[in-house]
Amino acid sequence: MILTGSEIAKQVKKNRITITPFNEKCINPNSYNVEIGDYLKVYEDEILDSKHELKTKIIKIPEEGLVLSPNKLYLGYTKEKIGSNYFVPTITGRSSTGRLGLFVQITSDLVDIGFVGNLTFQLYAVQPLKIYKNMKIGQIMFWKPLGKIKLYNGKYQNSIGPQESKTWKDFKEKSSGNIT
Amino acid sequence: MILTKHEIIKQQNKSNITIQPFVKDMLNPNSYNYRLDYELLEFDEMLDAKKESSYKVIKLTDDGYILKPNKLYLANTYEKIGSRKFVTQLIGRSSMGRLGLFLQITAPLGHVGTCHKWTLELKVVQPLKVYPMMKIGQVTFWKIKGKERNTYENGKYKQFNVPKISEFYKEIK
Repeated sequence: MILTGSEIAKQVKKNRITITPFNEKCINPNSYNVEIGDYLKVYEDEILDSKHELKTKIIKIPEEGLVLSPNKLYLGYTKEKIGSNYFVPTITGRSSTGRLGLFVQITSDLVDIGFVGNLTFQLYAVQPLKIYKNMKIGQIMFWKPLGKIKLYNGKYQNSIGPQESKTWKDFKEKSSGNIT
Repeated sequence: MILTKHEIIKQQNKSNITIQPFVKDMLNPNSYNYRLDYELLEFDEMLDAKKESSYKVIKLTDDGYILKPNKLYLANTYEKIGSRKFVTQLIGRSSMGRLGLFLQITAPLGHVGTCHKWTLELKVVQPLKVYPMMKIGQVTFWKIKGKERNTYENGKYKQFNVPKISEFYKEIK
């Protein structure tokens, strides 16, 4: 079951959903619109290797906007701090964003229950696209879970700003390699 | 409603969910991580929905393989995954999305009553090296409303355990 806009507002008031800052104007019938923060992160290398820690650099979004080029991945972040210990959030683009050919996440809309922090946008533009800071490019939804809850305590907890992939850490864990 | 980690374990024990092999370390608070198997299919430049696509098979090794942008690759999950009671959704992991890897192309929905290795539709934004048996994506399970119909047992993609190419050409002859 997906929460309605009024239910999201109710759960924010009860502190069972975190959306900080919270603005009533951003509520949709079944979701809440979120803003992109002031800066992006990109990988320094063109060829990425999932096994190794990668160098990144920060790009500020100027007042006059920034053109995202296709064939390049940009990591952004939600200006809001988001999370819940009671509902499962998912994040997607708004249809207005999709109509401009911009992906804001790359097949990973799911947020773990118990996560709290800025969510990372995975930005990919199909055609060159100019974006601006504080644009409401995404929306979050909240879903009711079934079963006993175990809260997230993983490698992206309490994220501030865009967070690059930490998947290289998986290759260092022995537990991931002992199954055939 | 989306199943929690504990509920996935419980339903797997009851055989309402099948994940083979099932490893508890692969569980997240609301999902289960799947791994990349050892094979990729790479297609020719031009695809025609009316024709059976031609492709070459790439065997993955521990040296990894660099996926190129502007290309579509098909692969499959190492695990057999399915449920006769819940709807499975297949997505990527945020760790891989942060590297610009799509695991499916706007088709996350799995049908109730199927169980097989799932075909992955891989696309990268920048060149990306991937490795066999890496944790590459995740599946979630959702409660359904209404009587379940296992008609998909007779469906086109039932119990295929290799990357399966599009069978649109069978529909639009």
